[in-house]
Amino acid sequence: MYRYDEFDRRFVDERVAEFRDQVERRLTGALNEAEFKPLRLMNGLYLQLHAYMLRVAIPYGTLNGRQMRMLAHIAETWDKGYGHFTTRQNIQYNWPKLKDVPDILEALATVEMHAIQTSGNCIRNITSDPFAGVAPEEIEDPRITAELLRQWSSLHPEFTYLGRKFKFAVTGSEHDRAAIKVHDIGIQIVRGEAGEVGYRVLVGGGMGRTPMIAKELRAFLPKADLLPYVEAILRVYNLHGRRDNKYKARIKILVHETGIDAFRDQVEREFATMDRAAVTAPEGEMERIAAYFAPPELTEKPSAPVAFERMKTLDPDFAQWVERNTSAHRVPGYVAATISLKPIGGVPGDATAEQMRAMADLAESYSVDEMRITHEQNVVLPHVALGDLYKVYRGLAAIGLEAPNKGLVTDIIACPGLDYCALATARSIPVAQAISKRFASNKRQREIGPLSIKISGCINACGHHHIGHIGILGLDKAGVENYQITLGGESTEDAALGQRLGPGFGYDELPDVIEKIVDIYLDLRQGRRETFLQTYRRVGMEPFKEALYATAD
Amino acid sequence: MAKEFKPSVVTANDLIEGDSVFLGALGWVRDIAEARVALSRDEAEVLEADGVAGEDANIVVGPYLIEVSVATGRPVPVLRRERIRVSGVPTIPFGVAAPAERRAA
Amino acid sequence: MPRLIDRLGPAEDIWTVLGAEDPLPSSGSVIVALERLDEALAAGLELGVHLPNDTDPERVKPHFDRLSLISVDFPSFTDGRGFSIGHCLRALGYEGRLRATGPVISDQFDFLLACGFDEVLLPDSVAERQPPEHWAAAEGRITLGYQRGLAGRGSILDARRTAGDG
Repeated sequence: MYRYDEFDRRFVDERVAEFRDQVERRLTGALNEAEFKPLRLMNGLYLQLHAYMLRVAIPYGTLNGRQMRMLAHIAETWDKGYGHFTTRQNIQYNWPKLKDVPDILEALATVEMHAIQTSGNCIRNITSDPFAGVAPEEIEDPRITAELLRQWSSLHPEFTYLGRKFKFAVTGSEHDRAAIKVHDIGIQIVRGEAGEVGYRVLVGGGMGRTPMIAKELRAFLPKADLLPYVEAILRVYNLHGRRDNKYKARIKILVHETGIDAFRDQVEREFATMDRAAVTAPEGEMERIAAYFAPPELTEKPSAPVAFERMKTLDPDFAQWVERNTSAHRVPGYVAATISLKPIGGVPGDATAEQMRAMADLAESYSVDEMRITHEQNVVLPHVALGDLYKVYRGLAAIGLEAPNKGLVTDIIACPGLDYCALATARSIPVAQAISKRFASNKRQREIGPLSIKISGCINACGHHHIGHIGILGLDKAGVENYQITLGGESTEDAALGQRLGPGFGYDELPDVIEKIVDIYLDLRQGRRETFLQTYRRVGMEPFKEALYATAD
Repeated sequence: MAKEFKPSVVTANDLIEGDSVFLGALGWVRDIAEARVALSRDEAEVLEADGVAGEDANIVVGPYLIEVSVATGRPVPVLRRERIRVSGVPTIPFGVAAPAERRAA
Repeated sequence: MPRLIDRLGPAEDIWTVLGAEDPLPSSGSVIVALERLDEALAAGLELGVHLPNDTDPERVKPHFDRLSLISVDFPSFTDGRGFSIGHCLRALGYEGRLRATGPVISDQFDFLLACGFDEVLLPDSVAERQPPEHWAAAEGRITLGYQRGLAGRGSILDARRTAGDG
């Protein structure tokens, strides 16, 4: 993984010193709150319902054991002993005090981490595929490109006071695990006609109150042109994006209102006339970064070691976990193992300091000291030998993180909602917990098969409800929490926005409603292989609507 | 039609600590029981202005009025959001308490 | 409180901003609104122009050789269009003085310089709280940035090559 050189280190140290000075000037009043707010946001610091909240960047979701231990240390020293992993592959702390934040940032810098641009109207943490460097079908590790973009976007003088936040995602595989179609800019690594590696560039996707699927801006961009090309896009957006209404300020609205073809003309004109050579990464920079992402030297191992097969027979729970929570690795004898942060009835994405340290131990012992945070709010151990898998499993069971539910109905994404968030209109976490408890049985979850439930506590859609197979949006209706259901959303290469089922439901009704939707699916599916999404796409909304609202007529 | 006036208190977040505070008789307090309650529109206006003065003095952030019920003596916010905020914690067991609860269950 | 600040600290403002109805003076340095540029060009004064931040930078390109100063409006410090306008004016070849006018804050000083600005003209409300020391402290606080091709700041990407060669 990427390691800081002297320049990266000085940059982050200087940034910490700058924020310490900003906090001091805030306390003396030299900066008023209106001035300080964007500055603290660009250092990851929000003011939430109960307290400040600090969001720490985990660039493209990759971290090592030492970094995870520091996250645990911060949780215990300056917070309440836990953290929350987010859909942008970051972690947030819910209880820091303003006076402590410079110390927290300083501690992070010692392990080559920061909170730069995890909030604010600037280019946010670049997200990527949690199986980068592991997935067998990948063209190139997307983290190389993501790291180049991370550096380019950090404190970009021209693009740090944008009209609204700006999110990039990069995938190196055709199968999209980074949800690039719902990002401001989505980048897919592709091969050109001569087999050369380059980029397909999408623009204008996003969720929030006006969800949109991204459109193709360039089918093929030569690799060397990446920085000037994104600079051209950002310049057009910065100059022409709407500033009159914050709900219409994202690039998706500009692209939508301008039209993708006219928008493309503007970008291409800027790209053609700008001094591209001045902006392009110098020769060797991409290779320098790439060297950090060289695949670890793993020795090929048997693909079905005897002890491993025996443990699967002896411990059926382990066998279930292996079946559900491990993914193919390009080196025979290895898998990527997903640690579900969705224990039954738990808070999706939360981990205690103790759990963080245990995960760090497991990564150091069994996964080449590497972990990934996924946008589904889980953790991946990317390089585990099959022969070590039982030890990993037992280690996870000891901290209550052995749920064999990756991709199943209880692997729920939820935003913090009204329990923590100042913007929320309804609670999300207790809804997720109630649904999780309702479907607690492993047997039943496996019977249902792949099904993603995503819950947002307000229209801003941090819980990604638009792209959940079942999406739940919590609103406030005259002081009462009311939840709208959408069906048929999807985040991958065939991304789709969920369609609204009908009038919303009350807080207490939700587990029953979700169960009913699942039962209808089970009833309608053509064989056990047809997934919820496939069934929905085949039968449409009507049968669900009928069953849920018929009695009300 | 003007909305009916309800008793109100001013709340904000402490600038340094970040937690919820309320404007009391002698300054900002942590316990809503010690908050000054405005019983008329005029009183609410004065209270709100005092809240803004607290922000201008770099003591608190984002002061605003919330409606409360004073039926029990202790002010209780009308809105769910504000009741959760006044409680100071999420409505569910959280952090280190969360897994413990599940193990016990 | 000094309202005009550049790299060297507080500066004296020699420019007169001409109101919409004010008659053109016969001599001196004046800043006019974009709408009065043609009229002022004919008068042969030392000339500056004030641009709202939705101006197409190409609009003033024909007059670059006649303009000693371009002032770009920052209606609020969070409205970052001016950064791109500054960058574009420099990219188009403008070599005169470039001023950011509005309630920008000292924490943006480096960004402004990197986008080609030379100076900031602050309203009193900001100047009172942000004395010249704050601007001096802000300048160069982040020694090197990651971006290339910027006027006012060195690039880590280039420094790495130099360090590697050395």
